[in-house]
Amino acid sequence: MTSGTGRARRTLGTRVGRRRAVDDGTAPKDAPAGRAPRRTADDVPSGRARARAFGLRTRLVFAFLLVAAVSAGTTSALTYREARNALLKTAQDTAVSSFRDQVQQTGWALPVREEGLEEVLRDMARKGKPHPWVVFAEYGSVRASSGENPVSTVITPELRRAARAHPNGSFERVVKDGVPYLTIAMPTVFKAGPESVLPSGLVVYAVMRMTDEQINVEALLAAARDGALPGLVIALIPGLIAARSVLRPVRELRKAAQSMGSGRLDTRITARGSDELADLARTFNESAAKLETSVRELREAEARARRFASDVSHELRTPLAGMLAVTEVLDEDAERLDPDTARAVRLVSAETGKLAVLVEDLMEISRFDARAAELNTDEVDVAQTIGKTLQNRHWTDDRVRTDLPPGIRARLDPRRFDVVVANLVGNALRHGGAPVTVRLRGEARSSGPSVLVTEVADSGPGIRPEVLPHIFDRFYKADAARTRSAGSGLGLAITLENVRLHGGTVRAGNHPAGGAVFTVEIPLHLEEADG
Amino acid sequence: MSRPRTGRRTGAVAVASGMLLLGGCGIQGTDVIEAGGPATVQAFVDHDTEMLLFFHSRDGGISPVIRYPKSTVEYGPDGGMVSEQNSAGQGSTDQDGVPVPTEKVILALLSGPDDDDRKAGLSTSLPSAPSAGTLRVKVSPGGETVTTELPIALDGLDRTGLRQLFCTIAYSHDENGRATVRLSGTDGASTSGTCDLDPTPSRQP
Repeated sequence: MTSGTGRARRTLGTRVGRRRAVDDGTAPKDAPAGRAPRRTADDVPSGRARARAFGLRTRLVFAFLLVAAVSAGTTSALTYREARNALLKTAQDTAVSSFRDQVQQTGWALPVREEGLEEVLRDMARKGKPHPWVVFAEYGSVRASSGENPVSTVITPELRRAARAHPNGSFERVVKDGVPYLTIAMPTVFKAGPESVLPSGLVVYAVMRMTDEQINVEALLAAARDGALPGLVIALIPGLIAARSVLRPVRELRKAAQSMGSGRLDTRITARGSDELADLARTFNESAAKLETSVRELREAEARARRFASDVSHELRTPLAGMLAVTEVLDEDAERLDPDTARAVRLVSAETGKLAVLVEDLMEISRFDARAAELNTDEVDVAQTIGKTLQNRHWTDDRVRTDLPPGIRARLDPRRFDVVVANLVGNALRHGGAPVTVRLRGEARSSGPSVLVTEVADSGPGIRPEVLPHIFDRFYKADAARTRSAGSGLGLAITLENVRLHGGTVRAGNHPAGGAVFTVEIPLHLEEADG
Repeated sequence: MSRPRTGRRTGAVAVASGMLLLGGCGIQGTDVIEAGGPATVQAFVDHDTEMLLFFHSRDGGISPVIRYPKSTVEYGPDGGMVSEQNSAGQGSTDQDGVPVPTEKVILALLSGPDDDDRKAGLSTSLPSAPSAGTLRVKVSPGGETVTTELPIALDGLDRTGLRQLFCTIAYSHDENGRATVRLSGTDGASTSGTCDLDPTPSRQP
């Protein structure tokens, strides 16, 4: 594939220089990978926004608030209950004892007479403590009260039963139509003798509205509620701090993992403290260290292998140069030898030539692998360059047709472009069929700079579809039966590398009318400085 | 999505428990709560001039009434009913400083509630005393037992009637009403008991 002319023009780099280039090869290899995190970082926000709705911070703060709400709620509820109960107890005890005093201080006749009873009760009602109350008296069938109805609607049958069953003062809180009442039942006894008392059968009831107590209890409730809410707000602060203390290591971990993924394997996290997150950080560091070691070993092995290939081809070169000189001499003398020996000598000469091509191609490809290949660009007239290439290879007869509009100028490495065109045309002639057509055109692209399109089409049977994806692979044999190719098997691979070096692409395909078409597209950097 | 839902459920539980905690807001009703003893009213009984009679109210309870013996009837020595005018100021009993005799008290009880008592809804379970009969009261030497022969039959009396008799006799004999009362009726039946109305704890057996 690479023609002899191409080979002859190649300069032999020194071994030392090549070595260094191979060694340095690792450095630029990281460079494109280094750009990767910027892309991944751009991907993150959408995922992050979705994750944040119920993210770690939200959950932590929520948990804190929940705990705070429960504790503040419980505390204020319990405090409120105690305070309310104490308040009510005071009011009730005051009411019961003052009512008992009043009943005791009132003179009663036995049997209790209905006449004048209401006056007595009204007198008692006025002296109610802590609030005025309505007093009811029940004796036998006598029912009287200080109010309008002789019988209360608030006093429950249970209270009546209790007062009748046991001669003890008792009270009951009744809520009627949302209004709380305190109802007190006070059975009376009288002294029958110095040492004995007898139930008189008279039970006096008091019914008191607990309006003030209700107001006080409502005030207590408001105080409890207003006390709990600031507690919740205050709890937000430690919640946020706790969330931060957890989230910071997590964020560091994420950044470290991201930077690891983008190839910076020396990334480490500072592990603080001895909690689970610190353990995680330490584990991460250990894994990262192991990964780094493995990757370094792999790279070293790869570099060694590459260097080996490069060294081998280099070592083969010198003896090959000697062999080529010898075979040339033998070729010239072949005519004087007997025919069998002459055929053998020509065969040796041809194979030695192929071997030299292979070694040159191997050296070229290992230069690409080591990323030591350099682009020496120059602004050229592309049509002229292609024409020169064809002329040098003596492809000027009707096997190669050209469609080369003059005046298209591009910034190219003339030597590499020559290799590309020569490889493609040589390949077409060898595997396809004559005539081979080389077309050249400039094409404007809607996005990006306009490109230089070079097409090499042959008139052969075309490329089989299953071969197409592998056509640029190294040593790929399109025809499995033909193990010995005329070329080195590296021609198209070298073409691909050269086009890539120009920042372009090369495609293989089949023309609808038959024949394989290789299309090379190289951006036109006419206005730009050489990169 | 199970996480958020769990969170929402937790929140709901928190809110619900908060509502429950604060649920007992305001003033609730209570059961009947006992609060101290009864009221001891000023209704002193002067045993020298007044009688303590026990009637029952409509709910079955026994209620004591204080009766000043304005006019009393008494069985004479011959067993017939003797009426004694006992106007205020010149009555013999109060001036003597002697308690109203138990026989008089029993007859007052048997004569039933008066107008005031009836107005207050009190009634008796005892039959009224026959116009002629024997009423004898004997006190044991220690004074703990009062044996009474009644001019009525005991057989038809219910529990309330008996309690009326026990209490009236006990408190007539003893200011503290601690005596055991033994009753025997015209029908020969007899029973005994005490008045159990005093709520003082030391009096309960």
